[in-house]
Amino acid sequence: MKCEICGRRAESRFCELHKRAQENLREKYEEWKRAMDITWEEYLREVLKNPLTGLWVKEVARILLASSEEKEAPSMQEKV
Amino acid sequence: MDGRTILILCEKPDAAARLAKALNEAGKVRERKLKGVPYYEASRDGNKLIVISALGHLYTIAPKIEDRDVYPVFDFYWAPRYEVERNSGQTRKWIEAISRLSKDAQEYVLATDYDIEGATIGYTVLKYACGGKDTEAKRMKFSTLTADELRKSYEKMLPHIEFSTAEAGMCRHLVDAIYGINLSRAMTTAAKRWSGKYTTISTGRVQGPTLKFLVEREKEINTFVPTPYWTVKALIEIGGSTYEAEYEKKSIGILEEANSIVHACAGKIGTITKIDVRKTRQNPPTPFDLSSLQTEAYGLFRYTPRRTSNIAERLYLEALISYPRTSSQKLPPAIGYRGILEALSRQPAYKDLTSDLLERGDLVPNEGPKRDPAHPAIYPTGNLPERTLSDPERRLWDLIVRRFMAVFGEPAVRQSVKVAIEIDGHRFYLRGRQILKEGWMRFYKPYVRFEDVLLPQLEEGDEVRVKRVIREDKFTKPPPRYNPSSLLKKMEKEGIGTKATRADIIETLYSRGYISGESIAVSYLGFDVVEILDGYCPQIISVEFTRDLEEKMEMIQSGSEKMERVVGKAVEYLKPVLEELKNREREIGKALSESIRKARMEERTVGQCPVCGTGKLVILRSRRTKKRFIGCTNFFEGICKTSFPLPQKGSLKPLRKDCKLCGWPLIQVRSRGRRPWNLCFNPECPSKERSKRS
Ligand SMILES: [Zn+2]
Ligand SMILES: [Zn+2]
Ligand SMILES: [Zn+2]
Repeated sequence: MKCEICGRRAESRFCELHKRAQENLREKYEEWKRAMDITWEEYLREVLKNPLTGLWVKEVARILLASSEEKEAPSMQEKV
Repeated sequence: MDGRTILILCEKPDAAARLAKALNEAGKVRERKLKGVPYYEASRDGNKLIVISALGHLYTIAPKIEDRDVYPVFDFYWAPRYEVERNSGQTRKWIEAISRLSKDAQEYVLATDYDIEGATIGYTVLKYACGGKDTEAKRMKFSTLTADELRKSYEKMLPHIEFSTAEAGMCRHLVDAIYGINLSRAMTTAAKRWSGKYTTISTGRVQGPTLKFLVEREKEINTFVPTPYWTVKALIEIGGSTYEAEYEKKSIGILEEANSIVHACAGKIGTITKIDVRKTRQNPPTPFDLSSLQTEAYGLFRYTPRRTSNIAERLYLEALISYPRTSSQKLPPAIGYRGILEALSRQPAYKDLTSDLLERGDLVPNEGPKRDPAHPAIYPTGNLPERTLSDPERRLWDLIVRRFMAVFGEPAVRQSVKVAIEIDGHRFYLRGRQILKEGWMRFYKPYVRFEDVLLPQLEEGDEVRVKRVIREDKFTKPPPRYNPSSLLKKMEKEGIGTKATRADIIETLYSRGYISGESIAVSYLGFDVVEILDGYCPQIISVEFTRDLEEKMEMIQSGSEKMERVVGKAVEYLKPVLEELKNREREIGKALSESIRKARMEERTVGQCPVCGTGKLVILRSRRTKKRFIGCTNFFEGICKTSFPLPQKGSLKPLRKDCKLCGWPLIQVRSRGRRPWNLCFNPECPSKERSKRS
């Protein structure tokens, strides 16, 4: 399998590096939720526009946002 | 007269000229040339001195098998550089000239830099160019090129050259060559066999682990997710002026909490509950060794470590400072503190400062812990420049002079004040700081980074008006990228490389295209080279292994280890690794070729496509019109037709920075005779509007 983003060897959707970015993204959402009232999609948008966000995180966030917008996921709880 | 002819071998031409002048007793020094190579004739004690210099290394380690497709290779020899290296034709004349002149001499004296490289240069030249004179040559040892010290060093010559230091140096060159050539050949061949294209991929014994530090950092930065936090400040009015007090918690993790503090404190009266005054002594800095000089020069002037080391080398060759490639932070009394200060006082800018120090009874430098068996810390010789120094030279010399004086200064005393203010049950702090006694800072003033923050007279129980309370939105930050200076410090801390090689290794990473920028970013290729080495032979880029070898080589210098044993062990360690690389050549070749292809693509990639959001914008060339333009990678998938025109002249480089006005990625355009300029290719960008109207 190849990583959806960079084409590196991958065991699932993403390669090791993008998987790590994705894991961080999930983990940090917990901290964001504790800090303020924010939905998963709002969170992804915030992260995308933040200049401190890592490049690979942005690449993952862009894909996750696109897919969750497509499905118009009713609640972020299911996604996480 | 039965004078003898003595051949003195220096490291650099400038040093030879200075040495000849210092030692000459009768008449004038004669500057002569043989095959275009300058040398000097002087006389002393009735003997004829022939002073000539090498040109850095004249010999180098080379593999017996030259074919670059063949590995492993373990047979190496010392070859004249002109035979095996490109662009080193100069060394031929030099070797021939030294060879010829050595035939007329009866005695030999080595006067290269007193360190590993100096010993190695001396040993190889005496052995190979002078026909085995390494065993009978004597050795001059000195740390400055002042006439005085050179004469003393000539009078008290050491009976022979430092063989164990040369052995350590030769061992380093050999081990580095065995690793560098084999690993680079393995990777280059693998890529070539897979793709049919030849691209040199290099790695080295120290280069690999260094690149790995950068890759690790790059991973942390690229997978970083900032999290929000808040700070709260109260603007306090005291006697008509406004002061900023910080909330006691430096960071507040919950927005609601921050809001409620702001709400509770706004418009209230605060009470000063406690005033804490603390005095701290700040000791003078320690004398410069090379790496602390490099750090300071980077912090103050943004000079890269290599630049600093080159400038310092020039100052040394002009006898203005002592030998800079030292790791010592000691200044032994034998260098003559007073003499140096008296000499420096001839420079008007230093007159008051030096006389201040000279009036004191005892001069005791605040030495640091690091030692170097060969040289003291870097210090000014007291000589004043014989010519107008360039700006960077003058700055570095001034820095070294002032540091030298500061080292003898008294501790500075600084006072910090912390005022606690209660506002509606919440505590805020007002902070002030001030230098009470300058001490050593007087000498080092232009380079001391300290700003006084003064507070008004306050007393416990005073009431103050809270003008405003402000919430500030913040985010956690990723770890900083390394810069050349912090990377050098990291290498030093991890014990890899030497003071003479670290700066060069960093430059090599840049020139190979593995890293770029002052705030260092790793390229695709650099990233993958480390990933591949890490995947197939992690032991090769392990810091422990590199450090261990480094320690063994130091032991050779002190005589407790032998070159054969160290080289034997290194080869034993490398052999199975190379076998493994060979067995998996196809896989590795595939991965590397893929990476090279991506690296080429990366060079042309401008950034994310702002129109479709998923494609990438790349610099392309039209097959039909041959013109350059920017297009989206999704064009090939038929999804996005975005394209923008580009200037057709000059070279283009994606800047990896976004336009401040519209947020689109910028491109740097360089063309001959013009300053590089940044292009925002967004036709709707406000910057265009402005230039259209004007
Ligand atoms: Zn990936
Ligand atoms: Zn597009
Ligand atoms: Zn713009």
